[in-house]
Amino acid sequence: MTMLRVRDLGVRFGGLVALSGVSLDLNRGEILGLIGPNGAGKTTLFNCVSGLIQPSEGSIVFEGRSLRFAAPDERARRGIARTFQNLQLWESMTVQENLQVPMDAVGKRNTLSDALGLPLSHYAERAAAERARAILHVLELDGYGSRLAGDLPAGIQRRVEIGRALAMRPKLVLLDEPAAGLDAGETERLASLLRTVRDRFHVSMLLVDHDMSLVMKVCDYIYVLDFGKVLARGRPGDVRSDRKVIAAYLGEATPELVESTEEPPVVVTAEEPKRLPAPRANGHRPATNGNPLLEVSGLAAGYGHLEVIRDVTLTVGAGEVVACIGANGAGKTTTLRAISGVIRARSGRVAFDGNNIIGSSPERIARMGLAHIPEGRGLFPSMSVEDTLRLATDSTGAKVKLEAAYEVFPRLKQRRHQAVGTLSGGEQQMVAMARAVLAQPRLLMIDEMSQGLAPTIVRQLFQMIDVFKQQGTAVLLVEQFVESALAVADRAYVFEHGTIAHEASADELRRDRNLISGSYLGSTAGEASTIQVAANGNGNGHKPHPELMEIVSMRVPAEVKRALEERAEREGRPVGALALELLAEVKP
Amino acid sequence: MMPGHIVRFAVAIVAFAILARLPVGLDGAFQFDAALALIWAFGILSIVLLTGYAGQVSLCQATFAGVGAYGAGMVVASLHGGYLLGIVVGVLFAMVLGVLVGLPALRLHGITLAIVTLGIALVFDKYVFQDHLFDWFTGGTAGWQVSNASILGIKVDYSKHLLAAYDILLALFCITAVLLVNLHQSGAGRRFRAIRDSELAASTMGVNLTRYKLLAFAMSAGIAGLGGSFYPLIAGSVSPQPFWVFTSLQLAAIGVLMGVRYVPAAALGGLFMAVVPDVLTRYGHGAFMGRVYDISNDWFQIALGVLLIVQLVLLPDGVWGDLRDHVARLRSALPGGARRQVRPA
Amino acid sequence: MSEFAAYTIIGLSVGAIFALAALGIVLIYRVTGVLNFAHGAMGMFSTFVAWQVFYGYPHPGMPSWAVTAEAILVGLGFAVVLGLLLELLVFRWVRNRPQIVKAVITIGVLLALQSTASLIWKNNQYHLPIYLAPQDWTRTVAGVPIGFNSILIVLVTLGLAFGLGALLRWTAFGRAMRAVSDNPTSAALWGVRVDYVGAVSWMLGSLVAAVAGILITPFINFDTTSLTLLIVDSLAAALIGGLVSLPLTVLGGFVLGLLETYPQIWIQSLGLPRLIALFVILAVLIVRSPRGLPGVAK
Repeated sequence: MTMLRVRDLGVRFGGLVALSGVSLDLNRGEILGLIGPNGAGKTTLFNCVSGLIQPSEGSIVFEGRSLRFAAPDERARRGIARTFQNLQLWESMTVQENLQVPMDAVGKRNTLSDALGLPLSHYAERAAAERARAILHVLELDGYGSRLAGDLPAGIQRRVEIGRALAMRPKLVLLDEPAAGLDAGETERLASLLRTVRDRFHVSMLLVDHDMSLVMKVCDYIYVLDFGKVLARGRPGDVRSDRKVIAAYLGEATPELVESTEEPPVVVTAEEPKRLPAPRANGHRPATNGNPLLEVSGLAAGYGHLEVIRDVTLTVGAGEVVACIGANGAGKTTTLRAISGVIRARSGRVAFDGNNIIGSSPERIARMGLAHIPEGRGLFPSMSVEDTLRLATDSTGAKVKLEAAYEVFPRLKQRRHQAVGTLSGGEQQMVAMARAVLAQPRLLMIDEMSQGLAPTIVRQLFQMIDVFKQQGTAVLLVEQFVESALAVADRAYVFEHGTIAHEASADELRRDRNLISGSYLGSTAGEASTIQVAANGNGNGHKPHPELMEIVSMRVPAEVKRALEERAEREGRPVGALALELLAEVKP
Repeated sequence: MMPGHIVRFAVAIVAFAILARLPVGLDGAFQFDAALALIWAFGILSIVLLTGYAGQVSLCQATFAGVGAYGAGMVVASLHGGYLLGIVVGVLFAMVLGVLVGLPALRLHGITLAIVTLGIALVFDKYVFQDHLFDWFTGGTAGWQVSNASILGIKVDYSKHLLAAYDILLALFCITAVLLVNLHQSGAGRRFRAIRDSELAASTMGVNLTRYKLLAFAMSAGIAGLGGSFYPLIAGSVSPQPFWVFTSLQLAAIGVLMGVRYVPAAALGGLFMAVVPDVLTRYGHGAFMGRVYDISNDWFQIALGVLLIVQLVLLPDGVWGDLRDHVARLRSALPGGARRQVRPA
Repeated sequence: MSEFAAYTIIGLSVGAIFALAALGIVLIYRVTGVLNFAHGAMGMFSTFVAWQVFYGYPHPGMPSWAVTAEAILVGLGFAVVLGLLLELLVFRWVRNRPQIVKAVITIGVLLALQSTASLIWKNNQYHLPIYLAPQDWTRTVAGVPIGFNSILIVLVTLGLAFGLGALLRWTAFGRAMRAVSDNPTSAALWGVRVDYVGAVSWMLGSLVAAVAGILITPFINFDTTSLTLLIVDSLAAALIGGLVSLPLTVLGGFVLGLLETYPQIWIQSLGLPRLIALFVILAVLIVRSPRGLPGVAK
């Protein structure tokens, strides 16, 4: 019954350990979910199974045969298909042709016969076209067969990719972030589509995604990765309430911290004494001249065909610290990039200090005083620390001494001649922030400052935010780790599905945890799930209660459904039958 | 046969009938131009297959043609075989070289592949086609002299029976063109196009990259070599000059300009390559409004280069587009223009 | 033995030319992402401009050193303008396109430049070099006669290489260039004016190509095509440097020059050096990394 067996998988990239000791089982007919924070190794594991990465150690066995030396096309022939997060459709070909290629590749076609147009080819083409139409029908893509794949909207393209994967009659479909770029409604439809596909085509699925609502709805079983290891596994409900998982996603939050509602702990480090943060005054900080420093309204942007953010509206006042939190893929990074000009906004308005900056080049925006430290820090690996800092002062034109930066970050002074690429993650972040000390921007946008860093360093860096605030720089902070962000921010925006779901002061968010964890891990309260109860009693011979003939589906809380499922499994019966029986005991 | 196939064959036959009549009655120089145009048209067809269909960049297509030419010449002049055998050998040699060139292509992409093919074009031009080490292949400094040749009993030598050679070449071209169009819609053609659009997806969807890339190179080289193998026939001798690096570059440029995916463009492009420079050389000078002008072959290449630059800068869809695609997109971008679906060739 | 030494000198001189041209190629490639196939053609054209000033017009009353200086200055000035024009009119607008598209555009530039030059100067072979010193000036070192031009070429190459290195290392503009080379998006976020940096890179690259072209005139029969085709050897040298490292590129140029020259001791062949260059290209590309070079995207 075990279709895919991964044992002790390890992947090393040079000195970096991406995966270590990962074991995973996928059963026939199952939809298996793979989740974890950014950088946890999900994509690496995924790519090992699909053949794009060779593991350094461990084994992957598919249907009893090792996948060790199988090239990607060989894996396809054995029945493993995959989709791609960034959509690798063959854009100049029609949808039908996109489906036909895997069909041909797995079947056998005679090239010469094709070229001459012999009847054999004619027949084979017709058969393939029929099958393609059938697949498109299940995916509700009727009529799209002769459209060019490149001309279609992203939601449709996603389905075409799934159709393409199904066209080769796979046994296992690997889905790589299928919900990327979809809004809440589309994600819902995707979830039901995936279940339909699984049932109609009898395929198993391995699903990687950041979108918890999708994963929780669709998957039968979930593995959680963190730092390259399996952190937890289980049914969706179990995983969602697992404390280790919550901690991994929300940051260093220990359960105790989750409960507290008063002011955040004041952290002092022995190593680098700085000015201590003054006690935070809660609520809005009004801008000095009354207008917000940064005004974003109705912003929409994306990459290629994907529209990642839509209708984003936020403001940052002068001297404020504002946080953007939310799950991966929710659109926080894309928003920053659209503001700083790295990607072009498709619609909406962005005003910096009253000036519209949409369409301006990033360098112009930077020179206006809006600095952006992107994800990954945006540094230059081959340049030395000192040269990098000089670069910061070059563009401002001001004769600011580098000593100012070295005072704040003494460790950088020791490493001034070292190439930035050789520094540790924390030191690199210091270099990036040192630029803000030297260039003194009006607004500093920082994306995922704490990524990959140890908690002590993270705390120090967050104290730097306060230093910036003292010097009059406003900060717009994107953070996956909620605790740290809320500790320094005045206000926060919660991103979900490419737009802003909530806006609140930091205080409010600290008090109401559910607002946030719901956004990260799917809401716990009130989510309804459906049990199908067929009128004929699921074919086990159990006679239906007459009054229940009218009930074809019931909405019950998810936990109830899982409990029912587990009990039904224990007793070896269909869920519907158990439900009927239990209901029958409810006497008027 | 499928309806599409029938239509294509019919078009090809009609085209043949028309084009075969064209050079009749013209003087020998024009007939030579017409035949030469076909040879270069084969070269552009080869680019349509390799770059247009399979997405592999190659700057040495004229080299494949040259190998075909020298191979045919060697068989006929040195080994005294029939010309038909010469053609076959020329094509085979070209295909072997194609596979050899395709091997680095398995690991290289884009500009690195372009660099390698450029190097190959240069090496063959300056070394293999010119060095005495290869006299057995090239016939020495004078090159092979071919006269009184015949194919399947039809006299086709260049001095008196050029028209016959032209007709045979035209027939072969039409057949090859039709086969190529058929290939586009076929399973193998789809696999080529999948490799072009996304090699990553192609590989994970079951396409054997090695086999199909090498196949593309071999077939492409064979097509170019087929055209080239007729060169000794229509010119009477072979020399390195027609197959030098700049010809390969011009073929690539014209291919891109005309739309690398569009087979009929190949014919048009070949025509440009052979006829226009010669016409310019012969008629491109004189006096106009009292001023002497002299438009030579160089102007053709200048225009080619400038047009290429302009096209690539202005048209947003990249190199491997199609003029019809571009036109369709422009039309749909105009106000009131409905979104048109562009059919592949 | 002295024959070997003599060939070494020649090899180093030829290699210096490759190194110079390769420097320009790598500079332009790192900063703008354009692999300039037209680099040889650009150098060729500037060289012909200088040649035209030197031989094409009478210079009554001017001492020969002044004529030489004028020719060289005009040629270099033309090169700078050519580089600037190409950046302003063409390459600025294709900054975000795939590298292969930009490379094919340079092929268009190559064709246009070569045929324009052919139009003006015809397809003749020229053997009238621009002499920077009396032709018979030689020194004998360890029993080997070395011509002034050979020394000059190597010195100029090393000088320009160091100059370029110093520019990159010590100046603000050099920092900006390095930033753009490493990461153009981040550089923009740091306020670097990427367009200016690109324009200067093109001007510098073109300048260096022109210097290479002018320096080579005493050594070869040159025409519009042979100089253009030196691009292949220059690319080989650039690839030895991985399209990244300037010092390795210079070293690669010298090594390639020697590799191409030594076999001439035993085999007289005009085309053999090109074969060697091709082998070097293949060896470097395939050995270096399984999927091509790090800086080179698909």
